Amino acid sequence: MDLAPDTAPNRAALCADLANASARGQHMRIVGGGSGGRRGGVSHTESDVISTRTFDRIISHEPADLVATVEAGVGVAEFQAALARHGQTWIQAPTNPHSTVGGVLARAESGLRRLRYGAIRDSVLQVVAITGDGRLIQAGGKTVKGVAGYDIPRLMVGAYGTLGVIVEVTLKLWPTPPSSQWFTAEGSTHTLTQRGEQIRRETHQPGAIITSADRLWVELIGPSADLVPPAGMHAGDPPPALTGVGRMDVGVGPAQLPGLAAALARRGYAFQAQLGVGTCTVIFDDSTQLNEIRQFAIDAGGHATIGDAPDELRSDPWGPPPAGMTLMQRLKTACDPARILNHGQFIGDLEGAR
Amino acid sequence: MRRSSARGNLGGMPTVVTTSAIDHFREVVGSERVLTEHIERLLYAKDGSMNQGDCGVAVLCETTHEVAACMRIAAEHDLAVVPRGSGTSLAGSAIPLDGSVVISVARMNRVLSIDSETPCAWVEPGVLNLDLTTAVSHLGLHYAPDPSSQAACSIGGNVATNAGGPHCLASGVTSQHILGLEIVLPDGEILTIGGPAPDPAGYDLRGFIVGGEGTLGIVTKVCVKLTRNPPVVRTMLADFSSLTAAGKAVRDIIAEGVIPAAMEMMDSTMTRAVEAFVHAGLPTESAAVLLVELDGTAAHVSEHTHVVERICRESGANHIRVAADEAERALLWKARKNAFGACARIAPNYYLHDCVVPRTRLVEVLSAIEEIAARHDLVIMNVFHAGDGNLHPLISFDRRDDAQVTRVLAAGNDIITVCMNAGGTLSGEHGIGMEKRDFMPLQFGIADLDAQARCREAFDPEGRMNPRKVLPAGSKCGDLAFPHEHLPEGTWI
Repeated sequence: MDLAPDTAPNRAALCADLANASARGQHMRIVGGGSGGRRGGVSHTESDVISTRTFDRIISHEPADLVATVEAGVGVAEFQAALARHGQTWIQAPTNPHSTVGGVLARAESGLRRLRYGAIRDSVLQVVAITGDGRLIQAGGKTVKGVAGYDIPRLMVGAYGTLGVIVEVTLKLWPTPPSSQWFTAEGSTHTLTQRGEQIRRETHQPGAIITSADRLWVELIGPSADLVPPAGMHAGDPPPALTGVGRMDVGVGPAQLPGLAAALARRGYAFQAQLGVGTCTVIFDDSTQLNEIRQFAIDAGGHATIGDAPDELRSDPWGPPPAGMTLMQRLKTACDPARILNHGQFIGDLEGAR
Repeated sequence: MRRSSARGNLGGMPTVVTTSAIDHFREVVGSERVLTEHIERLLYAKDGSMNQGDCGVAVLCETTHEVAACMRIAAEHDLAVVPRGSGTSLAGSAIPLDGSVVISVARMNRVLSIDSETPCAWVEPGVLNLDLTTAVSHLGLHYAPDPSSQAACSIGGNVATNAGGPHCLASGVTSQHILGLEIVLPDGEILTIGGPAPDPAGYDLRGFIVGGEGTLGIVTKVCVKLTRNPPVVRTMLADFSSLTAAGKAVRDIIAEGVIPAAMEMMDSTMTRAVEAFVHAGLPTESAAVLLVELDGTAAHVSEHTHVVERICRESGANHIRVAADEAERALLWKARKNAFGACARIAPNYYLHDCVVPRTRLVEVLSAIEEIAARHDLVIMNVFHAGDGNLHPLISFDRRDDAQVTRVLAAGNDIITVCMNAGGTLSGEHGIGMEKRDFMPLQFGIADLDAQARCREAFDPEGRMNPRKVLPAGSKCGDLAFPHEHLPEGTWI
């Protein structure tokens, strides 16, 4: 399949719009599928909206090479369906039904199989983006391996659109696994995390090991002979999506995750911890809980950012500034000198010094 | 203060290391670790590439604070700095130019801590790649990226070049195995970025620094992800009567949905050279040898073995040999990883390329390289990471023969052009350094190179880190001289 569409007009128009907006200091907000809306800082300035939905083509998919080039506005579900017809998948991607490819990459959202297949940014081979001042740039390469030039794709992934508007990416794909199965068990937090850690040590490359306060989920992937229920577990569904007033995304070293899970369970939080990865999703109701969860994360040597929450709870979505703030400010200047892209949404100090 | 206009991190100006600067370096590390003798500077002006540089002084650091102090001295004296690990770069990344200061971290070779639960380890940059795996093997762990030079190359160098290796096919290159690092910036500031906790807020500086080829700062500690050893490993060797047949097997194995742990190919010239050196019982009469390693659970390995064997047979394999035990497996890998050393049997020098092409174009590109060898009357051998299309055409020659050297460079140009025309990438794992620098415009347009130059400048505003590497002069829009006459044919300008 190689559609080779003429994508130039859309891109040229956006380059002109952004160059113009930069010259006027007009803030621009980037929107994909709209699924990441309640994330990041609340902007108090007037912004024009850029929809990436006009970048809506799967440009090429070379099944024999396990590589696809896709525009940012394509829905993840639509993209996965196209790949599935050839027995392939973007395996690191999450399954949120409304996300676009660009949105998932801007937020660096990884799916549940990260333990086995790695983070979403590891799938990105090449990025085509438009900088804040309207320059169309490409970085990386279309081959499955490549070290030519600086790794701008890794900067763009997880930058929340503040370095440029991603318009196209080339992704490394995986064959769809022949079979997989979720298993589940109930118990106490301590027993479950111990059991989960044991499975992590003894099982070769499980897809996921996720624990809540009272339930453990394990996904095994491979030939059917390998899909044997771990002792004490039975076949079940994947963990349900957590819902609540607000959601925090915590990251701690995998060795610290059982301790964090114990602390969260003691305080009665609803959470799902990805053992071996170090990520943990926690539901919170108010700013007191937010601060407590963040403190737990910091005490465990990690960090906690707000994944989803109403405006009134998002006064400090990112927590203490990360190391290297000066470098980040300079990178921001290199890519969006007028600081017009998604103003106020990403770590605040980025918009300070120039 | 920005002085980039004075030097420009892409252009470079001669560095003059004054006695005052040398005295300051001596105050930090002691006289015996500041190398100023002519012969010492000659040694530190070379790496694993074909290039010879010009080293002003080499300073051997043993701690982060020494590195930081030396960086501050270099900043005060406006000296260019080239970081150095084991100096095995094949692209000239570790070559000092115009009298630069070389800061060696080879003596920073301690494994600082091992966390067998995560599992990960903090190590100093001078730790050798193989030594790291040896240090954790008793825990059933290994460090996955395994360049052929793994017994000699350092983790710091691996980080600088985003190094690969045969086993990066399934597990990914260095970038996917670095969780965090400590870096000394050009002004002497020490920063710790990342660590075992995933997804810190902010831009992925860690991901950007990996592959920075020493142009962004000096990495002084690295948090590496460790990988549990697979329960079952099966290593197979298939030989073919033509490169085309072997290339077809590679393509079909991937297309069938099998991603081996490693899939390596050697052509007949290389196979004969290696066999004479290693005595692994390689089929020297065959046109191509394919080494395939599968790992995982017993059921997974067994299932994929059947697929690989079937496809090799369908593609015309003469024999398929399965390593009977760990000793035979080790022997087959010894053959593969000693390939470059074995080339000394053919000619005293070699010029190695590192392009990657789409796996679907492997066969045609290999044929084109055969034609290039014939056209320039040269011996070109191939030993490469077939599974991810990462070619290593190796042109063997005698550098004392000027006419031959001219043909070697012309053939190198032709190889790069063929690979880029097939939708390829300039380098899969060795980096750009000096050797591929002027080819960058074949892969990137003016705006792309300009964006890279701006991001580099965010780390090194004064342009003192490893100048004249990676990006060709004129990459930054606004730099005056754009050396059209030096650019290869087909360049975007």
